[in-house]
Amino acid sequence: MSLVEISDMKRHYVMPSETVKALDGIDLSIDKGERIILLGPSGSGKTTLLNCVAALDNPTAGKYTFEGHEVPRGHSEKMTSFRRENIGYVFQFFNLLQDLTVLENILLIQELSDGRDKNRALELLKLVGLEGEVDRFPGEISGGQQQRVAIARSLAKSPKLLLGDELTGNLDSATSTKVMEVLVKACEAEEITVIMVTHDESLAKYATRVVRLDSGKIISDEKVNN
Amino acid sequence: MSMLLTKRLARSLWRTKLRLSAVILMVSIGVFAGIAFGAYAMSVTTLYDDIYEDDEQGVNLPDLWVENNAGNWNATTAENLCQEIRDQWPSDTLELDHCEPRLKSNGQFFSESAEIGMVPSVWHGIDEGEVDKVWIPEHDCCSGRMATAANEIVIDQHAVEGLNIEVGDTVRISAGAGFALNYTVVGIGFHSNHLYFTIGEEIIPAQPGTFVTGYMTDEGLEVLANFTAGESNLLLIDVVGTPDSQAADESGLADLITGISAIVSENNDSPTGVYDRTGVHSVEFLRADVEGAMKTYPIVTGMIAIVAGITIFLSLQRLIQTQAKEIAVLRTLGVKRMSIMPGYAIAPIFIGGIGCVLGAIPGVLFGAPAMVSMYESIIGIPIIDHSLPTSLVIQIVVTAMLIVFLSGLRPAWQASRLQPLEVLRGQHEIRVSSRMLQKMTSKLPATVGLTIRSSVRKPVRMMFTFLAVGLSMLIFGSMIIMMDSFGDIFLGGLDERQSWDAQAFTMGNEDAILEWADENDAEHEFMIVFPGNPEGDNRQLTAYGLENVTTEAGESMYLVYLSEGDLPSENQTIPEVLVDEGLNYFLDWEIGETHSIEFGTKTVEVKITGFTRGELSRTVYFHRADLAEVVGLEATVVMLQLPDGVETDEQLAQSSLGITVREDSVDAVMTLLEQQQGIFLAIQGLGILIAVAVLFNTLVMNLAERDTELATLRVLGASNNRLGLMLFGEHLGIGLIGGILGCIFSILGTKFMMSSFVTWTAYFTVAPSNESIFLLIGIVVFISISLTPFGMWRIKKMDLVEKVKDLSQ
Repeated sequence: MSLVEISDMKRHYVMPSETVKALDGIDLSIDKGERIILLGPSGSGKTTLLNCVAALDNPTAGKYTFEGHEVPRGHSEKMTSFRRENIGYVFQFFNLLQDLTVLENILLIQELSDGRDKNRALELLKLVGLEGEVDRFPGEISGGQQQRVAIARSLAKSPKLLLGDELTGNLDSATSTKVMEVLVKACEAEEITVIMVTHDESLAKYATRVVRLDSGKIISDEKVNN
Repeated sequence: MSMLLTKRLARSLWRTKLRLSAVILMVSIGVFAGIAFGAYAMSVTTLYDDIYEDDEQGVNLPDLWVENNAGNWNATTAENLCQEIRDQWPSDTLELDHCEPRLKSNGQFFSESAEIGMVPSVWHGIDEGEVDKVWIPEHDCCSGRMATAANEIVIDQHAVEGLNIEVGDTVRISAGAGFALNYTVVGIGFHSNHLYFTIGEEIIPAQPGTFVTGYMTDEGLEVLANFTAGESNLLLIDVVGTPDSQAADESGLADLITGISAIVSENNDSPTGVYDRTGVHSVEFLRADVEGAMKTYPIVTGMIAIVAGITIFLSLQRLIQTQAKEIAVLRTLGVKRMSIMPGYAIAPIFIGGIGCVLGAIPGVLFGAPAMVSMYESIIGIPIIDHSLPTSLVIQIVVTAMLIVFLSGLRPAWQASRLQPLEVLRGQHEIRVSSRMLQKMTSKLPATVGLTIRSSVRKPVRMMFTFLAVGLSMLIFGSMIIMMDSFGDIFLGGLDERQSWDAQAFTMGNEDAILEWADENDAEHEFMIVFPGNPEGDNRQLTAYGLENVTTEAGESMYLVYLSEGDLPSENQTIPEVLVDEGLNYFLDWEIGETHSIEFGTKTVEVKITGFTRGELSRTVYFHRADLAEVVGLEATVVMLQLPDGVETDEQLAQSSLGITVREDSVDAVMTLLEQQQGIFLAIQGLGILIAVAVLFNTLVMNLAERDTELATLRVLGASNNRLGLMLFGEHLGIGLIGGILGCIFSILGTKFMMSSFVTWTAYFTVAPSNESIFLLIGIVVFISISLTPFGMWRIKKMDLVEKVKDLSQ
């Protein structure tokens, strides 16, 4: 059974002058352990697809199941609950809480979901190579380090699916490489499926599958050997 | 300054219209209150000056009073005393204008109406003289003329309402001589001693029908009181000009009082007091009231304007923060600093301008007349000249505008100083949290740590918020605290701990009262109430001689409130006394010390064993036997405990100089408090409204500022309930700290305000009860946590898709 099963997913935005078809009949099946990169030009529907997969947005039509179960839509708390139990999310601008230390940023997510587990938080920080920075504030470490904290944070509640939106978009290439290597290593270790949205074709080397979108449709879907 | 930039700023401000409305409302309230209070202060200042003036309309208020506290002078003695004062006039700087003997007596008014029965009264024998005339203004309130025949009387206008007296009526009155006489009412007017119409020296005005004062001829009062012709107990001394009694040393009044005291002592043995206008309860109370009003109105306006200014300051700062990137882009595109700054500086002027207009119009049309009318109804003096000076309105508006303008200067300067590169790189948003705070909260759960740290993230804002909350709570808190503190003073010796039912006043004829008590099976207890002054100090104090100075119910009909020290023992070589806290405050009299008190020509050394609380005027408590030895009187008051079914009657009234019935007095206090409740509630509501606006504004800004954090947590799966709990904790913390600080601020502020109003004749301490403290803290906590549902609603309504877009841009 696939982890994610999407069929004929549509997301239309009705504007006064026109209807924008951000997603226009997406069919996608994702197996456990895959690392998928969504590529495409601006406005192709990458982020909308990611938002629908994350249950942040409600598809206008289509079917979306996760581990064989229908993903809730239209009910904020149920969608939140789905995200809490299944989804990890990494943002382009890290969005760490500035008033909490590196370690506390991870502990916070644990406290807000299943419960505090300091050992696991420290393990994750070790996994992303930041075991020496646990007591530092986000403002005291580099952008690359902050993104690695964000990855550790997103793994803190052991999600089944990790989503990243332009997560290296704010980093230089050397730092991007390091962050991606950490991400791949961590997700392999935790057996987590990954979907990343990016403009950067060079990240394809970290993926097991590359899906290209344009005008709300999948225009290519190919497996790669990484 | 670019119009487009200004338009952009106006639109941005319009988006925060709820907060904007709150700020405008605050400015309006400040201006409204300022104009209302100011109009009142200005009107009454002019009024008193006009009444006291030495001209055809004025009464020519004396500058000094010489009072025989233990009886009367005969005609020869009184005239001799005036002559001696003229001959030995003890001042080089002040010139004597007049010295007039007068007669004053307590008494009773007998009403035909059984409902009213007997009413305690004060009668003045006033032949048409040059000093302290009866004021009968040309106004609807008053009519008639002065009494010229021995059976004529002018009744005080304050007394007319409750007793339905009209010119031409016949009234029956007594003055402790054992009989009552009829008098024809020939006028309705006012007298300087009773402009503030209270029984004795109480703080609250007498209710209609509970007190009467009347002004007859000397002869009329002599007949009523069974005195011989020409007897008097007062000498009114008028000095050319009006020397300042508030600066008695500088104006020469202090030396004059000392000199006249010496002259009177040399020529007469009676215990005599000499005092200036500060010693006349009504005159001093109204002076303190108008001084308080003059001090209060700029404070009230300034305080509310400062709260509004802080809110504007915080709102503009937040606006600039949200517009930082736009400002940076404009700066990058070459827009000059001076083009950015004016808009932010001028915005508060517009906000203030609208607020001032909205406050000034109703202030002039409704606030000022309502306040003056309220004054007329409480004090009972007609305000002849309802003038509202334009200069007052301008002064209030300029003060408010200046404060709001200043509040916008720093945000405007900050906006113009933003560094485009830093803003566009996002560096201006990067901050490193306090390491110390992190260590202090590191053992706590991360949610709690975040709550604490984010609450104190912006200390300047927090400080200003608490300042604003404190100031706004001051309006509410001061009312609560003042009511607390005034409670004891309002009730004085009348509260439920006291066990006397009636007090019959006497001046040596207590036997008749005791006879009445025996006939009616009433318990009695003597008390002496006698005026005196600290040695070398002309300010008056009241000495109470109590049969038993005690705090224990059942041991005396009159209990004292011992705040510090021990009860005095009777019959000591140096008499032991309790003094009120005011004497400690003004004279630094301490427990264990000995001091001298003068009672006319006699001086007695006393030892202080403790302090009492709750007295408005300066008070010393003696054992009666000790005081009787000094003043030569066994009693001036007979306190009575009446058996069930027995009430004071005409026989008792005719035998005494006046009767105070405790139940009536308590009812009068309660009635006044009930009447005032609406005003108190309105002022308290105003304070609460401002506190809500300030807290709401800050908390909404806090929430808005945390949108990114909260959105991140929502995207990462934090439930609404968990976030709500976090917000609740945060609001509870802010509420508790704000409440405690607001409470401290209220107490300190009230103490500061009150300390500036305290005078020798009206001393009070600020003593909030625990209930009031909990109430003040509880209200801020309640307001604060009430905003949690709003915060949760905001989080729930958050468009996560849009937020994720923002987070990725």
